[in-house]
Amino acid sequence: MTETEFALRTDGVGKRYRKGWALRDCTLALPAGGVIALVGPNGAGKTTLLRLVVGLLAPSTGTVEVLGHGVTVSTPHTLSRVGFLAQDHPLYKRFTVAEMLRFGRACNLRFDQGLAERRLAKLGIPLDRRTGTLSGGQQAQVALALALAKRPDLLVLDEPVASLDPLARHEFLQVLMGAVAEGGVTVLFSSHLVHELERVCDHLIVLNHGRVTLTGDIDTLLAEHRLLVGPRTATDLDRAGTVVEAVHSDRHTTLLVRDGGIPAAPGWQPQPVALEDLVLAYLRRPSEPSAAAPSAVAA
Amino acid sequence: MTWLIWRQHRTEVCVLGLLVGMFGIALLVLGTQAHDLFPGGPTRCAGEAGINEGCAASFRRLDEEYGYVENLLAAFYLVPVVIGAFLGAPLLARELEGGTWQLAWTQAVPRMRWLAAKLAALAGVTVTLTALFTAVLTWFRQPFDAWEGRFQYDAFDLEGLVPVAYALFAFGVATAAGAILRRSLPAFGVAFGAFLAARMSVALLARPAYATPLTAMEPVPVGGSKDQAGHRPVAGFADWTIEHGYADATGRRLSSTEYHELEGAANRAGTNLNQFLHARGIQQFGVYHPADRFWTFQLIEAALFVAVAAILIGVVVWRVRRRVI
Repeated sequence: MTETEFALRTDGVGKRYRKGWALRDCTLALPAGGVIALVGPNGAGKTTLLRLVVGLLAPSTGTVEVLGHGVTVSTPHTLSRVGFLAQDHPLYKRFTVAEMLRFGRACNLRFDQGLAERRLAKLGIPLDRRTGTLSGGQQAQVALALALAKRPDLLVLDEPVASLDPLARHEFLQVLMGAVAEGGVTVLFSSHLVHELERVCDHLIVLNHGRVTLTGDIDTLLAEHRLLVGPRTATDLDRAGTVVEAVHSDRHTTLLVRDGGIPAAPGWQPQPVALEDLVLAYLRRPSEPSAAAPSAVAA
Repeated sequence: MTWLIWRQHRTEVCVLGLLVGMFGIALLVLGTQAHDLFPGGPTRCAGEAGINEGCAASFRRLDEEYGYVENLLAAFYLVPVVIGAFLGAPLLARELEGGTWQLAWTQAVPRMRWLAAKLAALAGVTVTLTALFTAVLTWFRQPFDAWEGRFQYDAFDLEGLVPVAYALFAFGVATAAGAILRRSLPAFGVAFGAFLAARMSVALLARPAYATPLTAMEPVPVGGSKDQAGHRPVAGFADWTIEHGYADATGRRLSSTEYHELEGAANRAGTNLNQFLHARGIQQFGVYHPADRFWTFQLIEAALFVAVAAILIGVVVWRVRRRVI
């Protein structure tokens, strides 16, 4: 689809607000194509990272490159290749849906009015209603239709389903994944929900306390990590460098290790790890840079 | 962009247009009647008022019948701030409070182009509406100005170039406050407060100092009624007198205590105050700006407010360009 190898590359990106650093030392390289999930608790810096990616903010340190272009050099061409759906899917509340589409047409180079109209018609959203009078789910759908009709090569969504009820959430993801399947667009979206990611995503970025603690292809990450269950030990000296997390029960110790599947030591039982447990383990890790450093390198 | 700007700001533009239109038509109607009092034109009549009884009567009627409008007009010094702040405050603040800045600046229109179009369009509307209103008001005030001069606060502040400059200043303050506070209503309030503070301090403190005022000094005349001794201005009626009082024969200005002592002495002696002062060589003086400095002063004050507006707009441009919002 695109001539560039990477959808997104960041190098040592940091963003400082008046109250402190929201993001530090963020180095990423994500290939074009597929779906990238950005996961982290509230306040981890997800919104900051996404706003840097779409050029709404300028980084305090480092560089952000999207589809081969620095994002702060905004031209109509580079802007038209990136679609953004901000948190709480903002729309002009006093515009009708049709006027929102006209806004999209007026402000974009390759806006696909027909595509947007077909999507909205399929969802039964009337064009003559003011967007402020639509339900939250419908507003999200209008915002998504607008972002998709822009025909972007990279679509960035900030917590797209967080404010939606389960039904609207399901419907929204269905529409989104349908668009991905037919359009060849790269999707980057943030979420603080970890379940269901495995089904939907190809790549993962885990962000915690403003730092990237894990990033990579989901299948690779799952192959590299495993759980080792053995007799209770206070320390595991042999594996100190690769242990992500150690959990001790009365009689057993469970280690989450990143060792690429080398044969387990005698007495230890290897088990595969679920993606959700993997993410949670990384989110529970202390946030000193030294602990995060080995895994902060791009996969 | 044109359609988008119109769609987003049509409410403000229509409301302001309606207000300016209504007041403008009212002033045109009343002004036509007032102008009809002076078939030869108010300026010529003002020159002849001393000798032409008809002209004097016309000015008396003007004062009786339309004086109330003139007094009401003094409140219209707020029109520029209403226009400028009403258009400037929501320019960025509404996008920031609704989160739609993230929508507006991720379309294919670069943010600087977006900002330039918005600033140009809304500043243009501000200038147009204020200029229209000022033109009508200036025309309405012609008979009053012919009689009272254009340097008084109710004329200078409402006529010529300065109202447009005030409106641009309010527009700049409101836009910058909106960018920083991220709320329309507080931005409007800040613009209102800044407007009142800036206007008042400039009019009272800065304006008299735009040029060195002239001083006229002449002996107290012997004639004239006793009470009016201090009230006959030394400067012409259209000049802007910023200070007046009495000085002794050497030109040294008298303090008010010294003047009151003289007044008391005249009363005790039972003589006419004017004759009393005249006999002692007391002079009256006036410090004033001559009427022909009107346009110079208008230009200076307009430049002052436009310059501040330009700085504020520069701050807004800088913030948007540097992506600090």
